[in-house]
Amino acid sequence: MDQSVAIQETLAEGEYCIIAVQGVLCEGDSRQSRLLGLVRYRLEHGGQEHALFLYTHRRMAITGDDVCLDQIVPVSRDFTLEEVSSDGELYILGSDVTVQLDTAELSLTFQLPFGSHTRMFLQEVARACPGLDPATRDPEFQWLSRYRCTEMEPLPRGGNSALGTWPGCARIGGGRYPSGEGRWGLEEARLQGWALLCVGGVVMELPGFLLAEAAAGADPWGSAGGAVRRRDEELEEAAEMSAAAGSRDRDSSGGSHLDNLRPNGKGLFVDQSSRGQDKPENLLTRQTKSKLEITDMVRSSTITVSDKAHILSMQKFGLRETLVKSYLMQKEEDYTYIQNFRFFVGTYNVNGQSPKECLQPWLSHGIQAPDVYCVGFQELDLSKEAFFFHDTPKEEEWFKAVSESLHPDAKYAKVKFIRLVGIMLLLYVKQEHAAHISEVEAETVGTGIMGRMGNKGGVAIRFKFHNTSICVVNSHLAAHTEEYERRNQDYKDICSRMQFCQVDPSLPPLTISKHDVILWLGDLNYRIEELDVEKVKKLIEEKDFQTLYAYDQLKTQVAAKAVFEGFTEGELTFQPTYKYDTGSDEWDTSEKCRAPAWCDRILWKGKNITQLSYQSHMALKTSDHKPVSSEFDIGVRVKNEELYRKTLEEIVRSLDKMENANIPSVSLSKLEFCFQNVKYMQLQVESFTIHNGQVPCQFEFINKPGEESYCRQWLNANPSKGFLLPDSAIEIELEIFVTKTMATKLNSGEDKIEDILVLHLDRGKDYFLSVSGNYVPSCFGSPIHTLCYMREPISDLPLETVRELTLMPLWTEDDGSQLENPMEIPKELWMMVDYLYRNAAQEEDLFQQPGRRLEFEHIRDCLDTGMIENLDTLCILHHSVAEALLLFLESLPEPVICYSAYHNCLECSGNYTASKQVISTLPTFHKNVFNYLLAFLRQLLENSEKNHLDENILASIFGSLLLRNPAGQQKLEMAEKKAQEFIHQFLCNSP
Amino acid sequence: DVLFRLLLIRDSRVGKTCLLCRFTDNEFHSSHISTIGSQGVDFKMNTIEVDGIKVRIQIWDTAGQERYQTITKQYRRARGIFLVYDISSERSYQHIMKWVSVVNEYAPEGVQKILIGNKADEEQKRQVGRKQGQQLTKEYGMDFYKTSACTNLNIKESFTRLTELVLQAHRKELDGVRTRASKELALAELEEDERQTGSP
Repeated sequence: MDQSVAIQETLAEGEYCIIAVQGVLCEGDSRQSRLLGLVRYRLEHGGQEHALFLYTHRRMAITGDDVCLDQIVPVSRDFTLEEVSSDGELYILGSDVTVQLDTAELSLTFQLPFGSHTRMFLQEVARACPGLDPATRDPEFQWLSRYRCTEMEPLPRGGNSALGTWPGCARIGGGRYPSGEGRWGLEEARLQGWALLCVGGVVMELPGFLLAEAAAGADPWGSAGGAVRRRDEELEEAAEMSAAAGSRDRDSSGGSHLDNLRPNGKGLFVDQSSRGQDKPENLLTRQTKSKLEITDMVRSSTITVSDKAHILSMQKFGLRETLVKSYLMQKEEDYTYIQNFRFFVGTYNVNGQSPKECLQPWLSHGIQAPDVYCVGFQELDLSKEAFFFHDTPKEEEWFKAVSESLHPDAKYAKVKFIRLVGIMLLLYVKQEHAAHISEVEAETVGTGIMGRMGNKGGVAIRFKFHNTSICVVNSHLAAHTEEYERRNQDYKDICSRMQFCQVDPSLPPLTISKHDVILWLGDLNYRIEELDVEKVKKLIEEKDFQTLYAYDQLKTQVAAKAVFEGFTEGELTFQPTYKYDTGSDEWDTSEKCRAPAWCDRILWKGKNITQLSYQSHMALKTSDHKPVSSEFDIGVRVKNEELYRKTLEEIVRSLDKMENANIPSVSLSKLEFCFQNVKYMQLQVESFTIHNGQVPCQFEFINKPGEESYCRQWLNANPSKGFLLPDSAIEIELEIFVTKTMATKLNSGEDKIEDILVLHLDRGKDYFLSVSGNYVPSCFGSPIHTLCYMREPISDLPLETVRELTLMPLWTEDDGSQLENPMEIPKELWMMVDYLYRNAAQEEDLFQQPGRRLEFEHIRDCLDTGMIENLDTLCILHHSVAEALLLFLESLPEPVICYSAYHNCLECSGNYTASKQVISTLPTFHKNVFNYLLAFLRQLLENSEKNHLDENILASIFGSLLLRNPAGQQKLEMAEKKAQEFIHQFLCNSP
Repeated sequence: DVLFRLLLIRDSRVGKTCLLCRFTDNEFHSSHISTIGSQGVDFKMNTIEVDGIKVRIQIWDTAGQERYQTITKQYRRARGIFLVYDISSERSYQHIMKWVSVVNEYAPEGVQKILIGNKADEEQKRQVGRKQGQQLTKEYGMDFYKTSACTNLNIKESFTRLTELVLQAHRKELDGVRTRASKELALAELEEDERQTGSP
């Protein structure tokens, strides 16, 4: 969210918030949020000044009501804002940016959020710094005086005090000022408009030009505020919607497992001579998942989530609206037709007089009621007061005189009114057209004294009538016959400096030339030259205007393309309108005896414009000029509402379609996956293909609600995320692999081979993949006592029996069980030990060589089906059986020495008698297994000459298998040593 | 100006994917590959103007199968819901009751619902009587539309209706939007008043 809009609402005219960033002000230990806005102010005499406005704010600032001005730091020559890196601290990507603000008076530290916005902010601030060039003036920050205190103080007039340096910063008492609700009051506008000018060492006071603007009734902030609120709602909605996506993203990063850090690869029974021999569990583990992604941590940070909301709302919406607008513009002819409207354009230099006669001869006699009136005056008031204080009673007088003389056949509504000293422009439309007038803006440009003052210059009103944009300019250009080049320059200045705000503040301001229709009227002051006065008067008498016109400066200047390029003027069929003796139709009889001239002119530019009349009105004698009028039929583009709606709908529909086509979409070769007869530690793989559509997309398996990983532990998708170019495809493998941690629950039915994977496309759809299958229970992962109660091979038992026996509590054995007689030890254990005892007692490096993966699967099947004889007939490595035995012990959910006895055993590891005592407290089956295993190991030691085994080797292998830390995976070296020591005693001593 | 989410809830194969296409792109694909791709969550954007307010709508369509319910509930944060059945499938109609209870359980309060009997063009295969739809409508206090994605019957109408309902339900938040929409007109009226009082 661009919070500069909120700041902008609180600013005065002429002040513009370039960029805003939300940061944290650090003062000692205190941390307070501040909104930092870089504000630019354009000076009347050109150039600009900047200041950093600091606001306290509530939540994310959206409107002016959310912010409260706290402090202003002018961007003066000694102002610096620099990024500081904290020494010795590690730079973390994505961490806040600490910046130091220094001026001669103060020093502040801020933390700004990481990201491009902060970068941009810092760049803009750097650009705003005035630099050290002595040629440029020191900034004075006069404009900030309004903010000095909450009460408006009268500005000191004249004197050097006003030009003194600005105090380094201004702290504002309380309450924000000014309010962003309404337009500026007259009082404020006038004060604001004061400019102090230093002319020849004399300080002069001159009024600014903003009064007319303020009085004109425009409400620029009203519309801007509306736009802001509108955006805000979009944002909140979008943020809400993206919240779901965001939380999903966060979830997905949570599924890291320590297991994944194990370095060995996927293969089973790989011959790795370098691996640690004392850690048999390493032999059979594999890297199951690789979900630990550092990038996830960055992605799931909250900043990114809000950024997402940002992208979803602002940019997209802004873009969309702009697109709709430009398509509408492109298709304008489809839904508009041209309709002629009658425009009346009049100009009158009143020479500072008050209205003394009825204006009807000029405005309404002999014509049909026009649809639009554009009436311009020059020299409305020649008094000093008007010039300096910008206030004149003439304004009201002439406004009334015009309003009363409009055509009596129609009712008119005033659209706009603008005045710059003596240059005034009024715009009326027939009442019934009022609803079709929109985007009305008015501006002034002074080109008089100093090239800026309002004694000469132009005013303009721009508006949209139906679908056509129209700009009406009234100008009073430089006087005197020889000054035609000044006039040309004034025209150019008006064109270049006249800029209208757009409804959308992000769009560049409009200029005069960017309008469909331009009507230019006024006292342009071009004279007739190269003819003496008498000759001129004679030609006028003869009504030889054509000959006379050849000497008209405007004609020659236009012909030379020096001014009014592209404009048209109608034929001059009336005598010059200047200069008469006031109150008569006599030519100027004063000393100066000025030559008559066509000062007052009306020109136009644009298509579909027909001039119907162009005349002066001799009947009016109030001024030394005669008023001029012209009627036009102007073809205006009128919307056919029906067609417009249809076109708009088509555009919106096509944009929707485009947007929907841009939602990533893929097709999957398979959505249902069934894994038959999944066995313990036997990898099963099913693959499918993701075919991408036309939009590049990023896919990822995401977590289901409330789950920490995208799939069950026994499942893995490879790869689980990736990027697809248009029309490309990728093969995904779904792998099932059941290890000791999952086997028991699959045996007991607490877990099932059933899962749904959610394949999520970034900014797009979600696909559900369902995985199902059945698990074949195995003795691996079954508890010791459960196996003792299974007199049949596990595969011969009904699944229900396996479940019940697996869930049977460990200590049920003594309650005179109704179950049939259990065996003393699991038969599967006996099978393996017996096999090794018979075949491998003298095998070299027994328990230290890896087995073969495929052979393990055979051994597992033999044990589970009870085909003991197969074990002997199969030609398998003894090492495979040895490893299977270790695996069997490792996968016991309750170790041979129960978890509850673990700590006792470690404590008495030096004391053989006590150790034996602990063993005697174990549940019977566990005790049996322990004694049986130890007896076997001692047997092996008797063959140590052949098999090279000794007590230490066996203790280190079996210590950590028989004694397992109940706390889980963390292995303490001390504890492990003690566990080995504990087993060691039993290896050295006969029971 | 306003953005919210609407949800299609339905059994599989009640022609909802077609509905989605009709709603958004005004297109009808009769030869739809039905199974592949219908499992999951799909969405499309649509923009309409209702009562002078520009409304951007994300229409979400979630898989109907029971087994996905725990997953799809997270997608149910919608402002309005289309409950869709197929008039040629008695079963899909029976399931509406189930969907209503699911919606009541997971959807946020104040969610607007509308009942849609789709495939109205397949009159010859009709299994659900006209009155049955009306009956549910009464029972749950929902509006009912008989639609056909194939013939474009009532598609826009039902869609606009649900949007209106959602807008009505959020009238308060939207009042601001409305006043701004009429701002330009108000300006012209104001000027006219000024003139009347200004004239003698």
